Amino acid sequence: MNEDKTILIVDDEAELLEMVRGIFVRAGYGRVITAGTGPEALALCAAHRPDLVILDVMMPGMDGFAVLRELRRTSSVPVLMLTARSEAEDKFTGFESGADDYLAKPFLPRELLFRVQAILRRTSPDTGHRVQLAAAEVDIENAAVHRGETTFPLTAKELQLFRKLYENAGRIVTTGALCETVCGPVWQGYESTLATHIRHLREKIEANPSRPVSIVTVKGLGYRLDLPDSKGAAR
Amino acid sequence: MNPVRRFFRRYVFSTVGLLALLLVTNIAVLVILLGIGEMTGPSDSFQIVDFCAHLTGSGSGWQADRTAVGMLDQNRAWAMILDPAGQVAWEYQLPDDLPRSYTASDIAQFSRWYLEDWPVTVWGLDDGSLAVVGRPKGSMAKYYVSLDRDYYDFLTVLACAIFYANVLLVVVLFIHSARRVEKAMGPILNAIRSLADGKPVRLREDGELAEINASLNRAAAYITRKDNTRAEWIRGISHDIRTPLSVILGYASELEESGELPPWARDQAGAIRRQSEKLTGLVADLNLTTRLEYALRPIDRKKLDGVEIARQAVTEVLNDGLADCYSLTFTEAEPGRHLPVAGDPALLDRMLSNLLRNCIRHNPGGCQMTVTVAPAPAGGCIFVIADDGCGVSPSQLRTLNRGAPLASTQPSDPAGVAEHGLGLRIVRQIVRAHRGRLAFANTVPHGLTVTIWIGEP
Repeated sequence: MNEDKTILIVDDEAELLEMVRGIFVRAGYGRVITAGTGPEALALCAAHRPDLVILDVMMPGMDGFAVLRELRRTSSVPVLMLTARSEAEDKFTGFESGADDYLAKPFLPRELLFRVQAILRRTSPDTGHRVQLAAAEVDIENAAVHRGETTFPLTAKELQLFRKLYENAGRIVTTGALCETVCGPVWQGYESTLATHIRHLREKIEANPSRPVSIVTVKGLGYRLDLPDSKGAAR
Repeated sequence: MNPVRRFFRRYVFSTVGLLALLLVTNIAVLVILLGIGEMTGPSDSFQIVDFCAHLTGSGSGWQADRTAVGMLDQNRAWAMILDPAGQVAWEYQLPDDLPRSYTASDIAQFSRWYLEDWPVTVWGLDDGSLAVVGRPKGSMAKYYVSLDRDYYDFLTVLACAIFYANVLLVVVLFIHSARRVEKAMGPILNAIRSLADGKPVRLREDGELAEINASLNRAAAYITRKDNTRAEWIRGISHDIRTPLSVILGYASELEESGELPPWARDQAGAIRRQSEKLTGLVADLNLTTRLEYALRPIDRKKLDGVEIARQAVTEVLNDGLADCYSLTFTEAEPGRHLPVAGDPALLDRMLSNLLRNCIRHNPGGCQMTVTVAPAPAGGCIFVIADDGCGVSPSQLRTLNRGAPLASTQPSDPAGVAEHGLGLRIVRQIVRAHRGRLAFANTVPHGLTVTIWIGEP
């Protein structure tokens, strides 16, 4: 699945660059290229059109934020900022500059891989548009659920909720986070409507909506989407 | 109220109170002295009325007994009795140069004033005679006051008005003076307060207190420089340590999962990975605690839902995976009710997360954790994080509630209860930054309960 992906890693620390490159190579990514400076990264981006860029912030000369701003003038390639600067303001600067995710050093290789996969799932046009569940298949691209011979259309809000749950598959998503996905920051009072949307979703994706196995209620907290291969990922 | 204003207000009130006390004391002393004088009689024991009581006779034949003579001698006084015709009917020690006969006009004059510079007092006797007692020259002052009644009343009112006006003036002048001192001292006291709160200080270096202001500015600059240097140093260290730690963590993790290595080597790689993760957490904690300590991390205070904050913290812990020996439940005291709080979402999340991870760290054998959110009677939200683990000793509980860190050197410490990391310190800093309250208690029958109150917007 990752063999055709090109990942560009940019960092001025050679050993770290080599370590991260190894992580992606061993994870089966087809092409992993590296750059030690901002200008080199921009040149490689233009030449190889990577599927994702992992970008360090603090580099001599042109820093990561400047590289990102320059990159965004010509490209919408997903960028994950990987940096030793972990303060909230740095993260805000990164997101404002157009970063897709932000991971502070030091990090676990597995976390980096998960985040990259999540970004690719969100952004790649040819992956993740069909999600196989226990009893149904969700076509995100066309906002539809195929269960057996029947196809159910998803409403815009149901699709939004499903995407949020899918992006966090295997993890609990709180009621507030789901409400915020649909309503924005002022979501208070939407909980009962959310429960209705979830019920409608279950009616479409579950074999037995009263005993759901895909969208599971975590009492008092929220919901969790369990994919057939992610069961038990989190308790 | 601003403590400086409060101080000066109290100062003004106390001084006005002291002035009032002084006035009342003076009046009281005057009244007491007058009362004593009234009871014991005038200091001059020689009164003409007493003298006259010891005179006998009438017309031209008068006698003074020994007491009367004794009174005169004792006071170096002389005396005479004028009969109704103005002739001296009796005399004692009467100076030779004084006449022995007086007209009504003479009597009218000396009865009010002096008789040839002799201060005299007079007393009418029963038969119309007049007793006259003269004292040594210069021994008495005599003033005769005669005023028009209206003018006298006016003077009385004027005297009272002047008295009260003076009292008022003293108070007003004092308040004005205190205000001036306050105006001059206020910025200095506020600056000292700001220094204590770790805020920047910049005073104008002019006026009478320019030297003090300049000293405070220098002190503030020194403290700021020192704090910044320390914070920058820690920030720099924590930044510089991150990249090498990433390499260690990355390779150790890779080796731990490598199938080509023998199990013992993978175990060792796992130990390196775990210790690197601990170091990672410590570096992050050290950085955060320093930034909170020196107010370098701005508090992004927003209107939040306390229930959702707690929900997210619990969810994060659950999503990160919890060993089977632990359980974590979330409870709302009033389900469905939103509990608005004013706070920084990231910091409040960190606060709850630290407490939950503390429960796990200090109870390696497992425990049941409960997070409860409840509305506070005074507004805001109460977070209760309870576990049924090993808890802490009563002395440790007192230490925790005092706000002091648990010392690992305490002999009574059960293993693993001592405060090793910065987690609890960060919790305290976050609660303080939100002007909240933090309390520790033992869970019955065993375990620890932490209660936090965060106010509403």
